[in-house]
Amino acid sequence: MTESDLHLDVDLDEDFEPEDLEGPKPVATVGDPVLVVDDLHVVYRVFGGKAKQIAAKGADNVREAQAPKRSFLRRLVSSTSQHVGAVSEVHAVRGISFVARHGESIGIVGINGSGKSTLLRAITGLIPPKSGGVYVAGEPALLGVNAALMPQLSGERNIWIGGLALGLTPKQVEERFDEVVEFADIGDFVYMPMKTYSSGMGARLRFAISSAATPDILMIDEALATGDAAFKARSKVRIDEVRKNAGTIFLVSHSISTVEAMCTRVLWVHQGQLVMDGSTDEVLGEYRKFVRAHRAANSSARAGGVGPRARRKKKQD
Amino acid sequence: MTTDTTTGAASGDRGKPGPDRDPLRPPEPIVPGTTSQERQAIAKQYGLQQMGVRPPLGRYIRDVASRWAFIRVLGTATAYSKNQNNYLGQLWAVLNPILNAAIYILIFGILLGTTRGLDNAISFIVIGTFLYRFFEQSVHAGSRSIAQKTNLIRSLHFPRAVLPIAQVVSLLTTLVPALLVMCAIVLLSGLLPAYPMEHITWSWLLLPVIVALMWIFNTGVAFMVARAVAITPDLDNIIGFVLRLVMYGSGVIFPVTHYVDNLPEGVQGVVGAILEYQPIGVFLYVARSILTQEPSFPQDPVMWVWAAGWAVVAFVVGFIIFWRGEERYGRD
Repeated sequence: MTESDLHLDVDLDEDFEPEDLEGPKPVATVGDPVLVVDDLHVVYRVFGGKAKQIAAKGADNVREAQAPKRSFLRRLVSSTSQHVGAVSEVHAVRGISFVARHGESIGIVGINGSGKSTLLRAITGLIPPKSGGVYVAGEPALLGVNAALMPQLSGERNIWIGGLALGLTPKQVEERFDEVVEFADIGDFVYMPMKTYSSGMGARLRFAISSAATPDILMIDEALATGDAAFKARSKVRIDEVRKNAGTIFLVSHSISTVEAMCTRVLWVHQGQLVMDGSTDEVLGEYRKFVRAHRAANSSARAGGVGPRARRKKKQD
Repeated sequence: MTTDTTTGAASGDRGKPGPDRDPLRPPEPIVPGTTSQERQAIAKQYGLQQMGVRPPLGRYIRDVASRWAFIRVLGTATAYSKNQNNYLGQLWAVLNPILNAAIYILIFGILLGTTRGLDNAISFIVIGTFLYRFFEQSVHAGSRSIAQKTNLIRSLHFPRAVLPIAQVVSLLTTLVPALLVMCAIVLLSGLLPAYPMEHITWSWLLLPVIVALMWIFNTGVAFMVARAVAITPDLDNIIGFVLRLVMYGSGVIFPVTHYVDNLPEGVQGVVGAILEYQPIGVFLYVARSILTQEPSFPQDPVMWVWAAGWAVVAFVVGFIIFWRGEERYGRD
């Protein structure tokens, strides 16, 4: 097992459940620009571990990374610095620019660790950029099941905290409370601490809370990856509803079929850079080829066949 | 409405891979079709606002004030969640400071006898430990309010000053019942044979005022440490030691000013003044002067002025320090 194997868990169409997501293909009626991303760079510090050589070198493909040979002394120094002053900077987004317009549904695809979620959070304004800028009309909001609430508190408290954090007034929270509970379908569990919830219940409640407010620009992070088929269908209805009001949608998902069903335009991010930006069919076509090729290479490597490492060795000879 | 400014989408063609591309490699990064100036011009033309920039101070203050309901709910919920994983539940909010005070009374009041010269050692130590605990916990909670809430910060939009404020509010809610117990202990200590009677006087009504001033002061300090620890997490380890130094230097469990007389004469004046007029010393002096009839703690309006001054200065300075880092929280 090499590290690169871990980076490649992408849902291909093999895992696709088309019955969950059927419906007419989205059509964009494109309007004025609502979001301009200008040469965005996001760097964040990571404590507790030195960056692997691969990340520091910024190899353009994770599979080609290999630690260089180092002298005993340098290894000694670096093994100490793993524990003292172990800070590294991760340059997660490296210079992305694009313009999004009213009415577009934009999917962001890329393998694990390519910077999709960071990009999404940066354009929502949640992670400050190191350089470059994000210009936006109105207030974007992130709709996600990862939104961390307080697990030790009851669902009821969490609905209040989440609603108020989203900028609702106490009166609005009260009005939408029943609706949120009903949508999350958790019944009396709403009075129990959230840590006692099953993962599906927690995800449903978080999704319900974060969709209680209707923003101008909606960012969705993996929201459709959790929950059973019925919940997926329900959340798609909800997102469609929000989309009608919101105008512009960004969607990050590992499931290619979800992106295909919901987006009119796709950005392909690889190692923090935009490698393709175009219509859904065009980009997903290429992206599928890329993921399939990786999968094939992976399985042949496991079977003892010619893996990328072996292939590189041959090249060197 | 589609004008020729749709360069974002159009630039996709540049990334179009040739048919001979290695399928294992992604296409080369695309070169945007517009320059940075052009993009900024588009943003300006359509009146788009830049994200992630620190708002002006006035607007920031209004933003924070408009989130008061959020602060209150977050604060009370945090306070409640701290003591819900055991049988006695919320009773611990009161039992904890009592046990804390009991240990100091046992060691410093009875065994070491450091409180000689005071009429009522128990009320001296109880007032000191209960109120110092409020400060100490505010600093700790404030220091973690940003650093340990990265997930929340990266998920939702709100002025980040909400977090340290809510932490101190949460401590204030647990302090209120503890203060009632503190007053009861002060009264009961007067019933012990060796101690003089403590009386409830009109000055007891001033207790909420000094607690409010302390609350403002603590929030200001929480702002400062919140930013410091968010940027440099190592400082979290230092804070515990600084707080211990402050505790022994503020006469929380013994009258520290008595020991100044043992110092060389040259430094007595300076050290004495610092110990007397440093914020925690001032707050404890005022609280003791209004709750007890201790002869060495007479009512003193000058000390009230110092208390109010420290509260305002700490809050204003802390708030500005915190605001100046607003655009950095969440990245580090």
